[in-house]
Amino acid sequence: MLHIVRSAIARVRQLFGASRLEREQDEEFAFHLEMEIAHNKRLGMSEADARRAALLAFGGRERFREETRDARGVVLFDNLARDLRFALRRIRRAPGFAVGAIATLGIGIGAAAGIGTIVYGVLLRDLPYHDSETLVRVGLLTPGLAGNRDLHSEATYSHLASSARSLSAMAAYYTNDAVNITDGDEPERITVAMVTPNGFPMLGVTPIAGKLFATMDTAARGEAIPVLISERIWRRRYGGDTAIIGKRIEVNRGGRIVIGVLPHSFDFPHPDVDVWYPASVPVDGPSIGGGYLTVVGRLAQGASAERAEAELNALIPSISTRFPRITPDEIERSQVRVTVQSLKSAIVAPVRGHLVLLGIMVGVVLLIACTNVANLFLLRAEQARQETAIAISLGASRVALAQRFVTEGLLLGAASIGVAIPAAGVALTTKFGFDARDIPRLHEIGVGADTVALIVLAALVLGAIVGATALLRAASRAGEIGDALRGVGRVTGSAPWRRVQRALVAAQVAMACALLVSAGLLGRSFMNLGRAPLGFEPAGTMTFGVSLPFNPYGPYAVAAAFHARMTDRLSELPGVTGVASAMNFPLTSSSTPSQELRIAPVGAEDLAVASAGNLVAPRFFEVMGIPLLNGRTFAPGDLRATPPNVIISQELATQLFGTADPIGRQVVRSSNLRANRPYTFQVIGVAGDVPAARIEDGPSPVIYMPLLRDGDGLPAEVNVLPYVPRWVSYVMRGAPPTPATIRRVVREMDPRIPPVNIKSLEANVAEATARVRLTMLLLGVAAAAALMLGVVGVYSVVSYAAAGRLREFGVRLALGDTAAGVRRLVLRDGLALASAGIVAGVVLALVGGRFLRSLLYEVSPTSPRELTAAVLLLVAVTLLAALAPALRAARTDPAVVLRGE
Amino acid sequence: LARTTPSNEQVLQGTLDLLILKTLSLAPMHGWGLTHRIEQLSEDALQVGQGSIYPALVRLEQRGWIDTEWRTTENGRRAKYYSLTTAGRRALGQELASWQRFVSAVSLVIAAEA
Repeated sequence: MLHIVRSAIARVRQLFGASRLEREQDEEFAFHLEMEIAHNKRLGMSEADARRAALLAFGGRERFREETRDARGVVLFDNLARDLRFALRRIRRAPGFAVGAIATLGIGIGAAAGIGTIVYGVLLRDLPYHDSETLVRVGLLTPGLAGNRDLHSEATYSHLASSARSLSAMAAYYTNDAVNITDGDEPERITVAMVTPNGFPMLGVTPIAGKLFATMDTAARGEAIPVLISERIWRRRYGGDTAIIGKRIEVNRGGRIVIGVLPHSFDFPHPDVDVWYPASVPVDGPSIGGGYLTVVGRLAQGASAERAEAELNALIPSISTRFPRITPDEIERSQVRVTVQSLKSAIVAPVRGHLVLLGIMVGVVLLIACTNVANLFLLRAEQARQETAIAISLGASRVALAQRFVTEGLLLGAASIGVAIPAAGVALTTKFGFDARDIPRLHEIGVGADTVALIVLAALVLGAIVGATALLRAASRAGEIGDALRGVGRVTGSAPWRRVQRALVAAQVAMACALLVSAGLLGRSFMNLGRAPLGFEPAGTMTFGVSLPFNPYGPYAVAAAFHARMTDRLSELPGVTGVASAMNFPLTSSSTPSQELRIAPVGAEDLAVASAGNLVAPRFFEVMGIPLLNGRTFAPGDLRATPPNVIISQELATQLFGTADPIGRQVVRSSNLRANRPYTFQVIGVAGDVPAARIEDGPSPVIYMPLLRDGDGLPAEVNVLPYVPRWVSYVMRGAPPTPATIRRVVREMDPRIPPVNIKSLEANVAEATARVRLTMLLLGVAAAAALMLGVVGVYSVVSYAAAGRLREFGVRLALGDTAAGVRRLVLRDGLALASAGIVAGVVLALVGGRFLRSLLYEVSPTSPRELTAAVLLLVAVTLLAALAPALRAARTDPAVVLRGE
Repeated sequence: LARTTPSNEQVLQGTLDLLILKTLSLAPMHGWGLTHRIEQLSEDALQVGQGSIYPALVRLEQRGWIDTEWRTTENGRRAKYYSLTTAGRRALGQELASWQRFVSAVSLVIAAEA
């Protein structure tokens, strides 16, 4: 018992008194050596011999110290500090290696952490609503309707909501992003959501002030509509004061009473919403199609999405019982089908495939990065063989050496964190080129503590693993100490391992090649887009938009009068040579052709072409710089003509009438939805082609309708036009006025309307090419990263192979080969490695080019120019990477190598 | 050099502890003295690696079998002296017994007739 206590005390004392013990130990050794030297001298040795003999007899001092310390059990901390110093020293001696390894690991880990964060945030994390697993999206698919629209009409929603049993609640909503808050001094454009009152308790939101809607609340027109406002606008506009509850605010000139404030975390239906209205869904003109309501529901206790879907589909035929104006025949013909899927998968479904694919790609990149760094380590271990062998023969233990390798790996891993965090930052800022509109919930994602923790963990673990692989190799080679001491490189490595190594490097070169080709193709596309004929003249313009509130601009005549007056006011500004108003401009998403505006020649309705609609003032074509190819532009009376007059684009004219003269011909606006009855127009002019949303889509079929000041003669049915002109943009040509001037003019017209999107048409053009530019940049960065990986890979593998052939090089040099000959040998090895990769890469690029096609403009995915450039670049870079080992090989000293035999 | 005599034997792994304990049981002494005492007692047949005696001493100290003390030598140098503890004395008895068993077992094998 006593000795156990004594032993414990001894250990503790040793642990805490480590430095004193070390001192004592040194004193003890000194004493020992002194005694031994004296003893040797007594045996008749000289002072020098006596000392040498004493040191020799004492044995490997390195090992001795280690073993003593190991026995003391304080080895861990002690060694760590020493190994760190050692690793730092080694890294300082080879900065190139360190930079390569740190950058490779850092980029790989950063990209992986970035995509990991996005995948987690988008695909895995629960939606921020109460009991979100039982929330479902209830869609209504109508075959033949464009854009995968799955929106409900008032009739289908109210029928299903009141009949379904497998859903405990069903809420409907729609949004409007062109609404003005008009109280106070500064009007503001906001997005509002109309949500049925039952939606809020269903989602489980608690207001941070005030209360939610009562079931009977409705936004049916009138004063004192109750609204909920966002925490964001509450703080920004109303000072975060709870006194706002019960107060009146003004939205679109109408008074609204704030009854509650919803917390920032509530981002339903999307995060831009600042004001929620209680939606009422009155079924005025029951119809199956023409839906505008998005429907979400909560599954009843024990119900599944499949059961709910079956039940709701079974309820479809009974719509005509509830709304006799919808005939069973019409329901039959519409072929509508209800879909029920979990809200989360409905939200993420469009992007899941992309994200998973991206995740796999990034995982492969990370794997390659790790392999490269491991290769670099092996190479380093190879080069440090002599050093290692000396350390072993001096008595350093294998374990200690092992710790050194792992420590070095850890150190490099830790350093790579410094690269990985910014890399993840870049990845998450650019979101890999994804758009918040493409990927739901993306706006919630950024570099957070989770990402940083993931990076730190991955960097350290991977660093240690990479260090350990080098160690395994070093350990298996320990028997060759003698060779190493004589300075002979005999790098063998098992054949399969080397084949894997070479295959991996070839794969990297292939990847770099494919990415370089893609980046080059996109670069050319981008250049081509810059030179593409736009069909209008963007230089020297300024545009802005206004959204007129329903009160008092509801009637067409009032709105048209406003636009006429505004046009006059803008024309008076100094330097402005022309002003026109229009619904939309080319290269904006609202100019996309739509299935709901199908135009056909009268009498040939089968020819219907999905077209983009625009509502333009007479001077629109002149101010935009769009040529009128045929006929005339609008004039007063065109709207009153029977049928009303329209202008069509060249593309639409060709599609409808071929080469025949379209002037004076009649066209009909048809719809596959019964709700929209056909209307007939007469063509009075043909305008030059302009692109729709994207330049690369080429000319788009457009039908222009008049936006005229004599709008009071409008036919009784507003539906003749696609839109009432309450959301209208202006374009000015000449020396454009400043934004401040524009704001002043609009304020003078109506102080409660904020002008928005004040920018030139050139900015529109830049935005339209932004997607190609961003993809090009991303691919460029990826190509550069892949190129770097490839260079590191080629360098390490070629160096490794060259180190194994030192003996051969020595013999060659001794037998009269020149240094240049040896250099060529190594360079050829590098080229052989790269050419396999390049061939694979070219194939990959040719195959993968198909996926790029939608982004390419006037350049073939197999363009020989880009392929050649990428191949030449890769060959040059490979030669560069193989140059260092080649030079090293040529410097082989035959004498040293051959002596080693 | 005297130390390269071919008849010298490296101390068998595991027996070093026994040799140290036994030698220290005769008198407390310092590390250098211990190595030479062992060689002396074995009439130079056994040679203790001078470097390996210290780790062994640390180990034995940790087991509580020996105790250390800084003392002055006869020529006035400070040196670390090792002495046997009671536990060490008991351990020596056990080690001796097991050594005897080992030796006699080996002898039996060697002496066996074909």
